[in-house]
Amino acid sequence: MTVGSKVKQTAASLKGAYATLAMYAQILEQEKDKQTFHEAAEQVEQVRNQLEERIKQLEWEEPQYKGI
Amino acid sequence: MPEWIIVSLRTLLAVVVLFFMTKLLGKRQVSELSLFEYITGITIGSIAASICLDLNTSWYLGVLSLVIWSGITIGIEYLQLKSKKARDFIDHRGTVLIQNGKILEDNLKKIRITSDELLTRLRQKNMFKVADVEFAIMEPNGDINVFPTKENQPLTPKDLGIQIPHETVPQTVIMDGKILDHSLNNLGLNRRWLHTELDKAGVTVENVFLGQVDDMGELYLDLFDDTIQVPKPKTRQLLLATLQKALADVKGFALDTNDPKAKKMYRACQEKLEQVIAKVKPRLQ
Repeated sequence: MTVGSKVKQTAASLKGAYATLAMYAQILEQEKDKQTFHEAAEQVEQVRNQLEERIKQLEWEEPQYKGI
Repeated sequence: MPEWIIVSLRTLLAVVVLFFMTKLLGKRQVSELSLFEYITGITIGSIAASICLDLNTSWYLGVLSLVIWSGITIGIEYLQLKSKKARDFIDHRGTVLIQNGKILEDNLKKIRITSDELLTRLRQKNMFKVADVEFAIMEPNGDINVFPTKENQPLTPKDLGIQIPHETVPQTVIMDGKILDHSLNNLGLNRRWLHTELDKAGVTVENVFLGQVDDMGELYLDLFDDTIQVPKPKTRQLLLATLQKALADVKGFALDTNDPKAKKMYRACQEKLEQVIAKVKPRLQ
């Protein structure tokens, strides 16, 4: 497994975590809890975006592994 | 009329009258806070019994007596609600038995309790050492309540300075195989959601004896058939595990890469994920 595909895997699992966090932010009734989960979801999304950036960079540096 | 028919009719009457009396008297009577209420309970019972079986007295006299007893009791309860003075006069007040760790012998004498009895009653409250008791009081109904010294009180999250998330009461959404729409609506959910969750667990509504939803939207199921194992909801643990795995991955990437810019970016990601985990962990356990 190349570095690129490892990063892709992590980004994908963060996408799932983001969805679950966002779901909890919807379900929970306490305003404070909603806020906490909303913020957490935002931060996870930011991390994922940065990883996606890195994936693009890796693919540009090593185009032979693109799409793996 | 043969006697047995009279007795049956009287019994039916007593049951009906007693039913409505107890409805009127309400919950307070059940708890028997004072000696007076205790006696009221017994008296009402024996009057009802004599309505049923005592053929020498007329039935309406018994009913009259019941109505008067209950009327007076309700009257006294209202009086107690309205005035503190009446309350102090009618009810016994609690007697302090131990204060600041010292047994008050005068009060023991006043309510005629021996030291042996005091020890027994303390043991019933799991206090074997008098030294561990800060305060003990005998309530008007004769129960003893004990307040242990600070170091002997059970440890709570507050003592440890831990913040615990607020958790609301779970709602029962399925009872005896029937869906309770009212509680589903309270949670902002509907039947379609419930059916999806039941499909996930692989059961039908008819097989569910009890179903409860907690505030995180997780469904707990108990089936009529106890041999079937229902999968326990694991979304929370899964989410926490996913986040922790991602954190470990990012840490690894930061160590692997030689590009200083990428290293910096991974470190930032790592910090963010650590914050996220710290934030949501208390709610996911």
